[in-house]
Amino acid sequence: MTRSESDATASPLQFLRRAIGQAWRDLLSVYYANTPIWRLFKSAGLLFFGFFCWSASSLVLSYGIEWTILEYTRAYGFVLILWGPLTHAVIVPLVIRLRRTAEHPVVRAVARNGSKINLSVFLAIVLILGTVPISPMLLDFQSPLESASGSDVNPDLSCTRSDGIVSCSLSESEGIDSVVVTSGNREIERVEEPPLEFTFREDDLEEVVGQKEFVVELRDEDGETLRRYRRSVSSVPEA
Amino acid sequence: MTHKLDVLGLFDNEYRDDGFRSCSVTGLEVHRTVDNYVKLFGLTAVIALLFGGIFAFTVAMTRWEVVGLLEPADFYTHLSMHAWNLLIFWMVFMEIAILYVGGPMVLGRRLPITMVAKAGWAVMVGGALLVNYAIWTTEPPNEAPLLTAYVPMPISPLFYAGAIIFILGTVVAALPFFVTMWYEKRENPGTTLPLVSFAAFVTSIIAVEALVGGLFAFVPTLFWRLEMIEWWDAAWYRQMYWIIGHGTQQINLVAMIAVWYFLTHVVAGAEVVSEKVSRTAFILYLFFINLGAAHHLLSDPAVSTGWRIWNTSYAFYGATFASLIHAFAIPAGIEAGRRKRGKGGGLFGWLTSAPWSNPVFSSTIFSIILFGFLGGITGVMMGQLQLNMTWHNTFATVGHFHATVVLGTTVAFMGLIFFVIRTMFMRQYISQRLASIQPFFYSAAMGVAVLMMMYVGILYGIPRRTAEVVENIPGTEFSLSAASPLFAVFGIFALLAIAGGVLFVVVAVGSLVFGDRVENGAENADLVADGGLGMAQDPDDPVHAYEMRGTFVLCLVFLAAFVITYLLNWYLLTQLWSIGA
Repeated sequence: MTRSESDATASPLQFLRRAIGQAWRDLLSVYYANTPIWRLFKSAGLLFFGFFCWSASSLVLSYGIEWTILEYTRAYGFVLILWGPLTHAVIVPLVIRLRRTAEHPVVRAVARNGSKINLSVFLAIVLILGTVPISPMLLDFQSPLESASGSDVNPDLSCTRSDGIVSCSLSESEGIDSVVVTSGNREIERVEEPPLEFTFREDDLEEVVGQKEFVVELRDEDGETLRRYRRSVSSVPEA
Repeated sequence: MTHKLDVLGLFDNEYRDDGFRSCSVTGLEVHRTVDNYVKLFGLTAVIALLFGGIFAFTVAMTRWEVVGLLEPADFYTHLSMHAWNLLIFWMVFMEIAILYVGGPMVLGRRLPITMVAKAGWAVMVGGALLVNYAIWTTEPPNEAPLLTAYVPMPISPLFYAGAIIFILGTVVAALPFFVTMWYEKRENPGTTLPLVSFAAFVTSIIAVEALVGGLFAFVPTLFWRLEMIEWWDAAWYRQMYWIIGHGTQQINLVAMIAVWYFLTHVVAGAEVVSEKVSRTAFILYLFFINLGAAHHLLSDPAVSTGWRIWNTSYAFYGATFASLIHAFAIPAGIEAGRRKRGKGGGLFGWLTSAPWSNPVFSSTIFSIILFGFLGGITGVMMGQLQLNMTWHNTFATVGHFHATVVLGTTVAFMGLIFFVIRTMFMRQYISQRLASIQPFFYSAAMGVAVLMMMYVGILYGIPRRTAEVVENIPGTEFSLSAASPLFAVFGIFALLAIAGGVLFVVVAVGSLVFGDRVENGAENADLVADGGLGMAQDPDDPVHAYEMRGTFVLCLVFLAAFVITYLLNWYLLTQLWSIGA
């Protein structure tokens, strides 16, 4: 009787038991598949899967969702990035070879139980790192919100125009060393003393696609750009 | 007979008196004209790939701010060069070559009106050179265009002129393909086109739609830039622009799938499980895929919510459904075809016994897997009105389209170039080992680089098209320095991927210049599918009689990844504003 015929007459429970048995055997055959392309597939697949578990868990945790399970899936993914390729590129081929060639009783015992030992070590590391995470696996999400790496320089630039003259001023000047106004490739005004107010003629501006534009750059004492404003004359209100 | 313009003996295969030769690998009758023009467009594409790849290095090393290679102003120029040379010129020159393969070569015809093909090539090259010149010589008040050249940003008029010339050249270069189709249907009115020709035809229709959209976008904009028109509507430009901006990527997609069907059949012995189903999927593309371009306007003010939801959800799923059909049909075709050849032990034996050392095969398979898992899933997901909110204009978007057009299209096209080197240029690879390694090395390195792009975009909200974000957002307290470890991984793997790209160019160009000549068909025997392609013709041995359970399991894995990614993104979206919390 073929397998499909026996499946047809099996009770649901038997069918389920057979299906699970077959799935387990398939899993074992994939786990022990040892051709170069299989080793590469399994290593690369687990590496990507590890990356996915680690990053997805970190992502969900970064939203402030405090599920314990996520700490373990994060650890699992992080360890798998290294352990997946290690298992299928090194350990499984070694275990298979040792099962054929090992003569020393200790080595034979290790070879016979190599995969169990390997998986136990792997799971132990996952459990430890899930419970006590180390810094490389923790992506830092707080510093963007709490960092004080620079001062916040964000003044308002207000400009008016009358009789072909544009006049501009900044709402505050703290942290700003100089203001440079450019149009096209040319610098048309530079202010290095407070108050940081400046005027220039509309005729000095370059015209492109019917628009006269100017760029105002705020710089610190090192000459680094802090802020850049791009304005077109047509949007500047008449005084 | 050697052509008078022959260089390095690249255009001098042996032909019969009628100008045809029999390809020992595909069994097709190939005419001299098809050979020569596929070579011409393919070589030009590789030059564009090399040129754009140089800018991949400068752009990646700027985004990795530990290196911080370029100043912001230079970064935009380099990014524009990178985008236009790789996303447009490399791809489109290759696609014209694919039209000539899918049309006259597969149909066993000569390429008609070769003068038009030549003129098209010359105009395309002229347009490409002009675009490159315009970008490279960008001077204020002009800005570098990036890919999009949005109105009202002032950009050199030469750029628009170059883009228009290139588009017109592409239409001209496609004309011989249309004429081929016309002749074919006139001579054989009752017969159906072979699937690859059908796919190429669908590609060409989508291409014409895209190119006409490009003319609609760029021609009036050129008049505006020359100040012959006083004002031009930015919203209108964006909508028209994306017909070509994303339309060209849809051409890449459909051309890539045509290449998948062609190469898996030729080198792996894949068969088409169901012609009807596969053709239906291509028809779905024809009607729905260009609507997907609407996802670029999801954060724009000009279009209604109904318009957005219709285009990027309901309509676009017609194209998604087509992609899912191909995602099953192609691996299933490989599985059934290989089982038929006695090469399919167990669940995945058909896959593991496949010719993995053949770069044509491995490139194609990596393209299928990586496009599906990394590019396709993210594309469908982020193209949705709601999920788009967390992805739009972040570096994750860049990750998505590098997964589609690099890991998908470019890797598939590299496989096709490997194939053309052996079967049209008739050259052995300079190093079989290097050629075998290249797809593995390039795909793996680029795969990790792409993942990192997605991670920094989604995890930290890193913006795209920006030279300095991690070290310095000028004048703010807001810092993204926490993302620097992932950027380090990105930078290292981007360098490795670029090395993989260099390896491709070295192997490809080196094989053409220094490779041993393939003197007879027997020397290409390693490319032929197990048992030859004649087996596919046996009516008493239908392909659907063979098992496809391995493909079914792979598709279940794919579906699981799809569902998990989808749920995860939706869940995070709800958390962002604590909906229901």
